[in-house]
Amino acid sequence: MSLFFLSALVLPKIAWSAILPELILLAAPLVLLAVSALSARRLPTGVYAGGMGAAGLASLGASVWLWTQVTPHGAGTAVDGAIAVDGFSVLVMILVSSVVVLAALIGEGYLRREGIGGPEYYVLAMFSAAGAMLMASADDLVLIFLGLEIMSIALYVLAGLDARRQGSGEAAMKYFLLGAFSSAIFLYGIALVYGATGSTNLPQIADFLAHNVASSDGLLLAGMALLLVGFFFKIAAVPFHMWTPDVYQGSPTPVTGFMAAVAKAGGFAALLRVFFASFGLLRDDWQPVIWLVAVVTLLVGAVLALVQRDVKRMLAYSSINHAGFILVGLEAATTRGIAASLYYLFVYGFMVVGTFAVVTVIARRGDEAHDLGSYRGLAQRQPFLAAMLALLLLAQAGVPLTTGFLAKLYIISAAVEAHSYALAVIAMVSAAIAAFFYLRVVVLMYAGAKSGVGLPAPLAATGAGEGAGSGELSPVAAYGPGAASAAELEGDRPEASRPDGAGGGEGHGEPDAAGVPATIALAIALCAGFTLLFGIWAQPVVELARQATLLFH
Amino acid sequence: MDNYLPIFVLLVLGFLFAALSFTASAILAPRRPSVAKAAPYECGIVPRNEPPERFPVRFYLVAMIFIVFDIEIVFLYPWAVEFRALGTFGLVEILVFAAAVVIAFLYLLSNGALEWGPARRSAHWSSARTTASTVLHISPAPSDPRLSQASGGEAPEHETPAEELAEGSSEAPARAHPHEAA
Amino acid sequence: MLHAAYLMPLFPLAGFAVLAVFGRKIGNPLAGWLATGTVTASFAIALVTLAGMIGEPASHRSFVETLFTWIPVSALHVQVGFLIDPLSLVMVLFVTGVSAVIHWYSIGYMAHDEGYARFFVYLNLFVASMLILVMASNLVFTFVGWEGVGLCSYFLIAFWYDRPAAASAGKKAFIMNRVGDAGFLLAMFVLFNALHTLSIPAILAHLGDLSTGTATAAALLLFLAATGKSAQIPLFTWLPDAMEGPTPVSALIHAATMVTAGVYLMVRMSPLLHRATDVSEVIAIVGVATALVAATIASTQNDIKKVIAYSTVSQIGYMFLAVGVGAYTAAIFLMVAHAFYKSLLFLSAGSVIHGLHDEQDIKKMGGLRKFMPWTFAAFMAGWLAIAGVPPLSAFWAKGAVLVHAFSYDIGLWIVGAITAVFTAYYMGREFYIVFYGDERWRRLEVIKGDPHESPWVMRGPLVILSVLAAIGGLLDLPFHPHLDFLSSWLAPVVGSVSRHSSVGVGGEWALAITDSVLAVIGVTLAWRLWRVTADARHLEPAFLQRAWLVDETYDKIFARGGEALAGFLANVVEAKIIDGAVNGTASGLRWMGSGLRRIQTGYVRNYAIGIVLGLVAILAWMLVRAGV
Repeated sequence: MSLFFLSALVLPKIAWSAILPELILLAAPLVLLAVSALSARRLPTGVYAGGMGAAGLASLGASVWLWTQVTPHGAGTAVDGAIAVDGFSVLVMILVSSVVVLAALIGEGYLRREGIGGPEYYVLAMFSAAGAMLMASADDLVLIFLGLEIMSIALYVLAGLDARRQGSGEAAMKYFLLGAFSSAIFLYGIALVYGATGSTNLPQIADFLAHNVASSDGLLLAGMALLLVGFFFKIAAVPFHMWTPDVYQGSPTPVTGFMAAVAKAGGFAALLRVFFASFGLLRDDWQPVIWLVAVVTLLVGAVLALVQRDVKRMLAYSSINHAGFILVGLEAATTRGIAASLYYLFVYGFMVVGTFAVVTVIARRGDEAHDLGSYRGLAQRQPFLAAMLALLLLAQAGVPLTTGFLAKLYIISAAVEAHSYALAVIAMVSAAIAAFFYLRVVVLMYAGAKSGVGLPAPLAATGAGEGAGSGELSPVAAYGPGAASAAELEGDRPEASRPDGAGGGEGHGEPDAAGVPATIALAIALCAGFTLLFGIWAQPVVELARQATLLFH
Repeated sequence: MDNYLPIFVLLVLGFLFAALSFTASAILAPRRPSVAKAAPYECGIVPRNEPPERFPVRFYLVAMIFIVFDIEIVFLYPWAVEFRALGTFGLVEILVFAAAVVIAFLYLLSNGALEWGPARRSAHWSSARTTASTVLHISPAPSDPRLSQASGGEAPEHETPAEELAEGSSEAPARAHPHEAA
Repeated sequence: MLHAAYLMPLFPLAGFAVLAVFGRKIGNPLAGWLATGTVTASFAIALVTLAGMIGEPASHRSFVETLFTWIPVSALHVQVGFLIDPLSLVMVLFVTGVSAVIHWYSIGYMAHDEGYARFFVYLNLFVASMLILVMASNLVFTFVGWEGVGLCSYFLIAFWYDRPAAASAGKKAFIMNRVGDAGFLLAMFVLFNALHTLSIPAILAHLGDLSTGTATAAALLLFLAATGKSAQIPLFTWLPDAMEGPTPVSALIHAATMVTAGVYLMVRMSPLLHRATDVSEVIAIVGVATALVAATIASTQNDIKKVIAYSTVSQIGYMFLAVGVGAYTAAIFLMVAHAFYKSLLFLSAGSVIHGLHDEQDIKKMGGLRKFMPWTFAAFMAGWLAIAGVPPLSAFWAKGAVLVHAFSYDIGLWIVGAITAVFTAYYMGREFYIVFYGDERWRRLEVIKGDPHESPWVMRGPLVILSVLAAIGGLLDLPFHPHLDFLSSWLAPVVGSVSRHSSVGVGGEWALAITDSVLAVIGVTLAWRLWRVTADARHLEPAFLQRAWLVDETYDKIFARGGEALAGFLANVVEAKIIDGAVNGTASGLRWMGSGLRRIQTGYVRNYAIGIVLGLVAILAWMLVRAGV
């Protein structure tokens, strides 16, 4: 018996190329930090943004290169079996790298507008992205935990980045406390699973289960339950979602978008891998849990979004709803289901980042104008933003010719194929409910528009008419179509179409139709372009997701 | 089971240590409370209302910075023990690790984390200042009119930075307070 | 052969995108010319494709151009691809050709409208959608075009959305089309369920696998879709209301192109109809009935455009008659000829409306031939053409339909022949009331001064269309095998499923002479009755003027829930159950939301409790599974 096991150490052979994207996103922030610490003058925020953009592009390039390596040679492992190099992980890397580039663009415009200097946003975002990538590619529970923590801790701080708003600090605090809580649960789960199977390595766990079918003992199942809770927290599944609206609302808006895309990507990637690949044999045990959680998540997300007046909160619930959809793919527990989830995750990342980028611009200086009222008549003041937001929201609602539609179709068809008919029906119902609150924003934006080339006025008028019947009940209705048509009636006076939330912006003496920062505009256009282009020309991305799953390690 | 014995011993030891500390302090410390002693420290000025709990953030920060290096040392020990077995690879790894920590430390230094004097800040942070910004960022930005005053030497001598931080919570009342007392 | 079919919808689509973004900056009239240019470019490409196709042997004239897979989910592989064959090429040619002319005309017609650029945005989008509809290689993609044209039609009907009539007409068109669209969707489900594909060539190739029942169901559902889009009984009442839109829209969408999409769909799926002969009979009966009903209504209307609108419904009825009796070539022939003379009539009417400052009541017009000679001539050409006066286009096209109807069933022919008399009559009535008689607009002070002839930019298209309406019959002349260009052109597509007329050459001559006589009867009637007076109430029974009370009946049955029958029940059903269900769902969801929202307290401790409760639940489940 010895506490310190002093036999000869075997050094793992490290295939650096397999973790190149992560390395880039870990090294770049260190460089930025050093530069900022050592430079005599304050550097403009654009320098850091440029650095982050370059790092993001480099890691995107590295990821794509990895893809070209994985596709012909098949999946493999690296770093002593701790890292999985397969299509699945590489696709998530591509997604996260893209989000990094977009976040650099959006963050630049945001930080410049808010007058916040320093490298913190960029550095933390890159660390967080590296963590998410690690979660996706980790083939070992401990490494997943490591990625989870790298990702989460950076996100906690990012949430509190906007120090002037109390909400930001509150968000950071809540996220941190609950995140730490759930991380602890997750870690405990790892311990139990290790205790039951004797390994934290995912393939070895799968191996163990394959050879010990009868051993579905309490220890292992309890460990699985704890792991599930840890994941559910990260992906904001009900009832582990309650932090989401507060944190999404409080965080600086670009951070919210980043968080929504990256944290979900990392969390889901690990969840899909662990449960589909390693615990696949125990699916009879976890499938009902996923089923129930998916149902509750779908419904709670959609229903609660209905009653929100704050757009960021509404989008937070909508992201919960989306999480429910992705869970449906996992519940199917088939290759097609996983491919559907992966596709959903991929296109959702672009949709949500773009949406929050628009919200960032609309919120104006101070980042506070998030009330639905700020969106009234947006089409007149900011036709570009309104059109982009309309596109992205319609995509989230699952309107055809967008990636959002294909994602929902893919998920539901996978569920149907796996004979989860009830779940498919519930998912469709929730999509129908969700369509309402997306459309409400769209209608609101176009209701004030009197005439113009932008988009059809009859559409707006009809929307107003349809909504008016059902909207007599709640405060929401006051901001809904009914009020919109009222605004339309007095639309000739320019004041009438000014948003209620304009007060915040006026305080800073900014003109109403302030320009959209070029970098944010570029990011928005990229997201919207992706959503539309690959919604119409669907094959490439669908094929990518399918291949990625075939190359599952 | 043998393997777990040391852990168990450590556990017991830990509990014992904590329990002993508390008991010792309870038994040994003299306790003669008075109204003035119980009142929160306000530079000798009688507090007008119940102030919130205050904590000088700077101490915590230093403690946290210390922990970072503490952890680094935790990693350095096993590396040193296995130095030969790990070879060049281990050396490079530990250097990378150390570099990361050093860069973080540099960042802290450049942000004035270890400066105890009145504020002289790299103004990474915006001018608008609230409780939250104060708590999070050690000391306020120079563009704050109050602070430029303070660095100009007009601030009362007894106003330590830590206090100032705490006071910065709400701008107007905090300013009015000393004048009124005077 | 040019394999660049995708360019055809791409040009108007690009025009749409550019105009949607920069339309107002490009401004008047450049935006209009740009839109016209894109459509003309599509027409040019169609011509090049045609030239290439003529060079190929007949059996090689069909190809599918697949761009990419749009929806590759499970068994459902929807491809974005274009099916180019003689049939779709004919459609493309006349759609782009007529569209180009009407775009051109609109530059003048819409010149003073503040929504000038917006108008061309919709118009270009419409052309793109229509081309997609016509060329799509699978039903889902067809449906995209189908919905696209419906949407554009709705936007354009409600183009002047500040007029309540326009807005409600737009809604009516939208709702009636939805009924039809439901048929389209259901047909797709039925076909996909049976054949596991929605590609049109694949469906047509595997029709043999369909049971007769399935084929009948699919064909019926598709026909339901067609009745919605093409305004046939029972879904025809939206089309006359759609005249609230600008006149070029009426000409392009509600006469020449979109409303004939139903006929095209039927012809495209003709092998399916071939397998479902019962449906063919239904189609023929519905078609001929619509033709007659609409013609009677048209004889009594007083709105210059509504007369033409009912005439359109009636003419499409003829096309469906042709489809029903298996004369697919005749249907397409009539469709093309109809596109020429009906857009001519609409554009002439538009010219009149333009000259009289938006007056549409023919009873307030009269004696206009002196003031608008060009329009007068054009309208006359259109009238004589639609009347079937030889040798103008409808004489040949309608003649072809009637010959086949005669050979199929003499009853159908009789109704069709009566309708032909009505056709010549109602258009003549309008012609005489508008261009002859007293100058009533002077007395009623419709305008100050004299009406003016339209500018050149509007007269040009009238001239072109007049010529086409006159000589359109050349496309497919009977009597000699070398002159039936269209029949031989379409033979590879519909030849095998067409029914051939059993009427000999002598019979055809006899029928042609009968047609001419009928046309002359109608023309003479109009001349006798309406040349002098515009006031002959006894010739305009209220029953017909109010369109056989169809709208009122629908209103009673569907909208007011059969008050006379059971007012009480209606109140309960509507107010309590239907409204209750709709409002109840919404309010129920809100109520749920508000209730659930209370859980969201904002306290971290409560959130943590949520996590713990969830954890306990999952743990409990797992432990139950483990049998602890």
